[in-house]
Amino acid sequence: MIGVGVPGSVSAPAPAAHRPASMERDAWAVLTSVRGLGPVGLAALLERYGSGVAILAAAAAPRGVDRLAETGREARQDGLRPRRPISPTLARSIAEATGRADRILARIRALGLDVVTVEEPEYPHRLAAVELPPHVLFVRGEIGALDPARVVAVVGTRRPTFTGRRIAARIAGSIAKAGATVVSGLAAGIDGAAHEATLQAGGTTVAVIGGGHARLYPKGHERLAEQIVARGGAVISELPPDDEPTIGTFPRRNRVISGLSDATVVVEAPARSGALITASWALEQGRECFLVPGSIVDPASAGCLSFLRENGGAARIVSGLPELLDDLGLVDHEAATAIASSASAEATLVDLGGTAERIGRALVAGYATVDELVAVTGLPVATVLAALTLLEGRGLAHDAYGRYRPGGALAMTEPGRAPQVQRP
Amino acid sequence: MLAAVPSATLHGLAGRVIRVEVDVAPGLPGFTIVGLADAALQEARERVRGAIRNEGFVHPPRRITVNLAPAELRKAGASLDLAIAIGILLGSEQLRPARGRWALVGELSLGGEVRAVPGILPMVAALARRGLRRIVVPATAAAEASLVDGVELAPVATLGEAVLLLRSRRSRRVAVMAPRVELSGEGGEGAGTGHVTVAADRLGSVGPSVTCAIVPDLSEVRGQLEARRGLEIALAGGHGLAFVGPPGSGKTLLARTIPGLLPPLDDDAALEVTVVASAAGEGPLAGLIRRPPFRSPHHTISYAAMVGGGPRLSPGEVTLADHGVLFLDELPEFGRDVLESLRQPLEEGSVAIARAGRATTFPARFQLVAAMNPCPCGYAGSDGNACHCPASVVARYTDRVSGPLRDRIDLWVSMPRVPGTALIGGPEPEDSAVVRMRVRATRDRQLGRPGGRLNGRLTGRALRGACRLDRAAERRVVQLSELERMSGRGTERLLRVARTIADLAGDAAVGTGHLDEAARFRPPSLRLATAMAI
Repeated sequence: MIGVGVPGSVSAPAPAAHRPASMERDAWAVLTSVRGLGPVGLAALLERYGSGVAILAAAAAPRGVDRLAETGREARQDGLRPRRPISPTLARSIAEATGRADRILARIRALGLDVVTVEEPEYPHRLAAVELPPHVLFVRGEIGALDPARVVAVVGTRRPTFTGRRIAARIAGSIAKAGATVVSGLAAGIDGAAHEATLQAGGTTVAVIGGGHARLYPKGHERLAEQIVARGGAVISELPPDDEPTIGTFPRRNRVISGLSDATVVVEAPARSGALITASWALEQGRECFLVPGSIVDPASAGCLSFLRENGGAARIVSGLPELLDDLGLVDHEAATAIASSASAEATLVDLGGTAERIGRALVAGYATVDELVAVTGLPVATVLAALTLLEGRGLAHDAYGRYRPGGALAMTEPGRAPQVQRP
Repeated sequence: MLAAVPSATLHGLAGRVIRVEVDVAPGLPGFTIVGLADAALQEARERVRGAIRNEGFVHPPRRITVNLAPAELRKAGASLDLAIAIGILLGSEQLRPARGRWALVGELSLGGEVRAVPGILPMVAALARRGLRRIVVPATAAAEASLVDGVELAPVATLGEAVLLLRSRRSRRVAVMAPRVELSGEGGEGAGTGHVTVAADRLGSVGPSVTCAIVPDLSEVRGQLEARRGLEIALAGGHGLAFVGPPGSGKTLLARTIPGLLPPLDDDAALEVTVVASAAGEGPLAGLIRRPPFRSPHHTISYAAMVGGGPRLSPGEVTLADHGVLFLDELPEFGRDVLESLRQPLEEGSVAIARAGRATTFPARFQLVAAMNPCPCGYAGSDGNACHCPASVVARYTDRVSGPLRDRIDLWVSMPRVPGTALIGGPEPEDSAVVRMRVRATRDRQLGRPGGRLNGRLTGRALRGACRLDRAAERRVVQLSELERMSGRGTERLLRVARTIADLAGDAAVGTGHLDEAARFRPPSLRLATAMAI
């Protein structure tokens, strides 16, 4: 009966070829899967028994349950009634989990998940530095992606405005182009836009989910998760695979998002948004925190504005994309190439020639609807429509509900800093 | 004594000749109607009794049996009232007919007035086809009945007038007018072979507009050039059209200008539309309806009201919009089964209705025009009002319009909100008359081609033949369909629209410019991928 369940995992194939199997790691994975055993309880057990393997061995031993339940009792010397981190019920759960350790580990392996414990060198060093870091991370994808040189979290409301989505995408895209990793929460709205834009810019992104890996939420983002993994990123969770995401797990997840990152950027958060919890965590963990301001009458930005007001000294404002990259200490590749891109925009336009060139210039100048394009160029509607398709085919124009924006070489700079091209 | 009077009822869109037999026999006083009569017809007993008494005749206190032949046919409505009353007067010998047989059609009031009923036109046509060319009709429906040529009509306002007429010896022949138009395509089910014609002098008149009494002029719509262009292309080629835009962008206003943009119906189409309007009870009609119908049912419409059916096999909105436009405002709000029911009519131009023991086919060659918001809150993509709809909710909203239905809409037009300044200034927009002339010329060009169909109904080889693509244009089609990962159907849609654009410009072959413009009107499902990325 010695070491029940734990030796079984040693004989099984290792979860990742490049990392040697570890009994200690497996033991931690099993302990994390015990419902009700949180970071405090696990810390107390580890303090008493020294290692995860020892805890499992103790649980499997005769009268193991009673022994476990005594954890933390002897520590109190002040005469007060000791508060027991391990209740008898929890002790029974631990013993029961020890009994099915094989199945727990097989499940993790079947899902293709890696396990990283806080004691291992692969554990992201930024997260290890926060107070009470998660003991275990379940990782789908590249473990190395968790600990790059520069990491920025981009988060926000699940119900953004159209503009909010675009801002999130621009910020994430620029951060990715500057070579930093983008962390977010794989939620609908701003999070999803940040992940997508990072992938589109060819960057690496890490998603921290609020439930277990087998309970991915929202379901519609399963494909996005696959792409994140396929492109060298990772999807991680501190919860065992079959844990449901609940209202309580998301704030915990937010603490991991900010903890993984050098800085957190909040794009659009209405009052009492979960993104503000991430921002608070960032400040508490001594990280930088940036908020995109909005109109004072726009409820989508109300949370950002009130957070800026309440954390005047610490929270910082995003006054523009180049300024944000500057504050983050990232090289503004776009600004560095602004002059070049302006030249390339001009070259692209001249290359187009004819009506497409005239429409292209009008788009760069900020004219968005067909009505405006017809008015400013004086061309017939049919010609304008045909030219837009031509531009769209080359990726130089994008259409969203009847409003057109310049794309590709024509969209290299910020609006307001339009490339120096001749007016149409 | 037994009397037999010919009359007619309405069955679907067709008139049916009914022989009303009345037996007034000795026995306990009673009044029975046999021959599959519906509730309205059973109540004819009370109307007939009242009308006879109040016109100064005697309702005989005897055993009255009314038989409606043919017996197996279900009869509905009040069009037989007048015939039953006259039958009773004949059977009780209060009236002796002086001259040959008259057919009688009309509803009676308790006071004895003869009222118009729905479907006078098809009923009179059915009688005439059977050789019953002397017909008593309600005075208020005389104009509608006189659309059928070669019949001797006797309009009457009361039961008393009808009795006087039947007693009189003088003929009241209605002058025969020439030339004539054949009443064809009406009453498909077992109608007689006799030809019925419509008096030509009625053809010029425009009947009452079926719905939408006030048609706004296109010059009242400012801006929205993309949508105006899309509308013109759709009407010129008979394509399905959908407007997508936030509330207040002018979708409904633009759709409401459609009746003023369509050329008047030709003779055959006008006659078919008039028959449908008559059968649907839009009458009494003053003449042939020349204006294409424009139907805009509310989105709470039931399946039966859209397709047709009910106890009387009444035509639904798809049939009422035959040769015209069916406008569905707030498309995703319509019931799923209601939207799915549009697939057959859109494909075949007709709708088959089968009910226990009865089946019929109604024409439904309508052009579909739809309007919808881009998302449930309506403001996706607009700058002023922020849209808070999660992507999944937007997807669910647009998915309510199923793929097969989306495939049958050739043109999708985005309508951004027009800023207030554009509503005041800017160039003066074209008015309806100018656009109507272009639509008409373009339609004539299409109908002049071999096959003679509007581009909206072209598919397969006929479509490819009509497009006459050169090498460059063929390459462009491939490029455009790859760009958007179009299905075969998507490519056909592109070609159809491009063909109409070329026809509007008067070009014989479809070129790359036409194709480029046509690609702007592809459905939003194909655009969203690019729209949402940054």
